[in-house]
Amino acid sequence: MARSYLFIPGNVPRMLQNMDVFDADAVIIDFEDAVSLTDKDEARHLTQLFLRDHLPPSLDIYVRINSDAQLMKDDLIALETLDIQGIVLPKCDQDTLKEYEASQANFRVIGIIETPQGMIEVEKTAMHPCIDGLILGAEDLKKEMGFTRSSQTLYYPRQRLLYAAKAANIKAIDTPFTHLDESGLSEDACEAAALGYESKCAIHPNQVPTINQLFLPSEADLMAALKIVKKHEQTNSMRFSLDGKMIDKPVIDAAKQLIEKSKRYGVKGVL
Amino acid sequence: MIIHQSIKDLFKHLPLKDGLNISFHHHYRNGDVVLNAVLNELYTQDLKALNLYPSGIFPVHTSIVEGLKQHRINNITTNYMNGPVSAYLKAHGLPGELIMQTHGGRARAIEEKETVIDIAFIAVSAASKAGDGSGLLGQRPCGALGYAVADAQHARKVVLLTDTLVETIENPEIKGADVDHICLLETAGNTSQIASGTLSVTRDPVGLKIAREAMRVIKASGYFKQDVSFQSGAGSVSLAITQMFVDQLKQDHLTASFFTGGITGVHAQALKDGLVRKLYDVQCFDEAAIESLKNNPNHEPMSASLYASPSNEQRKIKALDIVILGASEIDLDFNVNVTSDSYHTIIGGSGGHQDTAEDAKLSIIVAPLIKARTPLIKHTLTSRTTPGKHIACLITERGIAVNDAHDPTLKTTLEAQGIQTLDIQSLMDKAHALTLVPAPFKRPKHRLGYIEGRRKDVLDTLYWGERDD
Repeated sequence: MARSYLFIPGNVPRMLQNMDVFDADAVIIDFEDAVSLTDKDEARHLTQLFLRDHLPPSLDIYVRINSDAQLMKDDLIALETLDIQGIVLPKCDQDTLKEYEASQANFRVIGIIETPQGMIEVEKTAMHPCIDGLILGAEDLKKEMGFTRSSQTLYYPRQRLLYAAKAANIKAIDTPFTHLDESGLSEDACEAAALGYESKCAIHPNQVPTINQLFLPSEADLMAALKIVKKHEQTNSMRFSLDGKMIDKPVIDAAKQLIEKSKRYGVKGVL
Repeated sequence: MIIHQSIKDLFKHLPLKDGLNISFHHHYRNGDVVLNAVLNELYTQDLKALNLYPSGIFPVHTSIVEGLKQHRINNITTNYMNGPVSAYLKAHGLPGELIMQTHGGRARAIEEKETVIDIAFIAVSAASKAGDGSGLLGQRPCGALGYAVADAQHARKVVLLTDTLVETIENPEIKGADVDHICLLETAGNTSQIASGTLSVTRDPVGLKIAREAMRVIKASGYFKQDVSFQSGAGSVSLAITQMFVDQLKQDHLTASFFTGGITGVHAQALKDGLVRKLYDVQCFDEAAIESLKNNPNHEPMSASLYASPSNEQRKIKALDIVILGASEIDLDFNVNVTSDSYHTIIGGSGGHQDTAEDAKLSIIVAPLIKARTPLIKHTLTSRTTPGKHIACLITERGIAVNDAHDPTLKTTLEAQGIQTLDIQSLMDKAHALTLVPAPFKRPKHRLGYIEGRRKDVLDTLYWGERDD
């Protein structure tokens, strides 16, 4: 249901302290790429202390752990008593999932698909019982594959991950946009939304308002959804025509989901 | 009109004596050269017991520190101060007193003869042979000369200091009839240093969050409509709000009637784009504003008196709808400190803070609730710059508090538009949940001076020395 997943470094007190003021629907506290090897312990300690005493009540919190076996183990030990939504597993494929399972931790997992191996195993990964969602990691994938980032080159990985996630009924989260220009971000997010993504990662707090706005249902979509659900409730029927279109169960379910999301994020027109 | 080739030559023709009251303006901000040049020459002539009336003191003004070390300065009256002079006063005090006035209060005091200036030293980027002065012509323009106008009109002797002499000046801000001497300098000031500091739109996410919240409040307040008038400072968050304000005008197909105060390139662009009809400019904050003042007839200079003097019935801020102001501390009654830090070092001053807060219909304070692990809201302020009764609301990254004592209807108005508000105590508690409750500080023992309200009322006492914690 979240629209924006904001990465914040786990070793920067100011960012941790302000994690709930950036208006992100979810934050991913980073122990991995944003934290140098020498600062990993500091990130674990700070995050542990902060979340123990100041867990923001209305924010989904995830922690991106390291994929290296020893670092992963230390990360998970630091997190074991914390009430977080789950962990984010980088370089996610069948091998890293096995590594995670071996740790016997029982966090829900969002996997980052950012390697060729991860991509060709994405359908299997999506079906894994501990997996709640998938993030496309385009920057690492770009590096591994040698492509240049564009809407064309991202089309296939975005589509494949999305189909895998939808088939498994889990979240599909679009890759971060790494430049800080707002129009580029809008364009990138619109491309993802057009494919069917409902959320996107942010790598800077200033990206959050744009992402939240772009992944918010429009007032027109909401009005249409309200009309569908109203007729469904009035007729108690799962199949009917409305404004020249045939409506059936998937359309009714989608309308209900859209209304739910609109309620949560305060779209005008929701009672 | 007597034209002098040097300050030394000028001084031969001035009634110099110990105990002089001398004034300067701060339109060149940290690029000012005149104050240092004049003071250093006064020291050379062994003058003592000087009383300084600069409208603002910046880090460049190290000659004041030298004068204080040499025991040549008795009293300082100003509107704004930071840098080494602040540090020196905090450590050593002053033989006389430091009086921190407002911009409007300074103009009023000069016009009403409470402040008597013996000699006003006015830097201008160009002077005519008839003694007219401009901040727009010449090689090193500083823009509007609003803070110097009262000095020019009322000082016993008026000196223009410039690097450019021209035949005539059309519509000069400083009139030749008021001027006694012109002194030529190698340079009148450094234009490039006017914009030193924080004159850019913030990219800080907390600052932007505050700016977005402020814009929501402005829109919901009922004041954001055709012909709205607006003022904001040149701080990075204020500039972000100004940019959002202008963007919203455009989006809603509205035109503002005027913007007042210190003017920046953001304001100038809005005028150029037809989103505001007039800019009333007391001080240009950057070169884009100077260019606009030079070329756009709807960008008008104004004196500090016309800007903000409480005795001037024509003052522009009397018609001001919305003002955006900062705070380094605020208390539970919405009293604001922008004068001193918690060690009692002077870090700024009112400028137009109190003037605009009192006159504007909607006075909004924007500030981070927690800055460097220190909470904004205090039980007791280090010093009180602006009385809380003038403040409509406080906007932080963690919530909005409305001052019912100022406007009992604002909270209902905002909440009807879907804006949640908190009482200021709850906002303080939110900060303390993260920072814990700071231990109270004891103030230093020595009196430094006081903060003067715009109508000569004393708002608070200033202190120097180490805190007695």
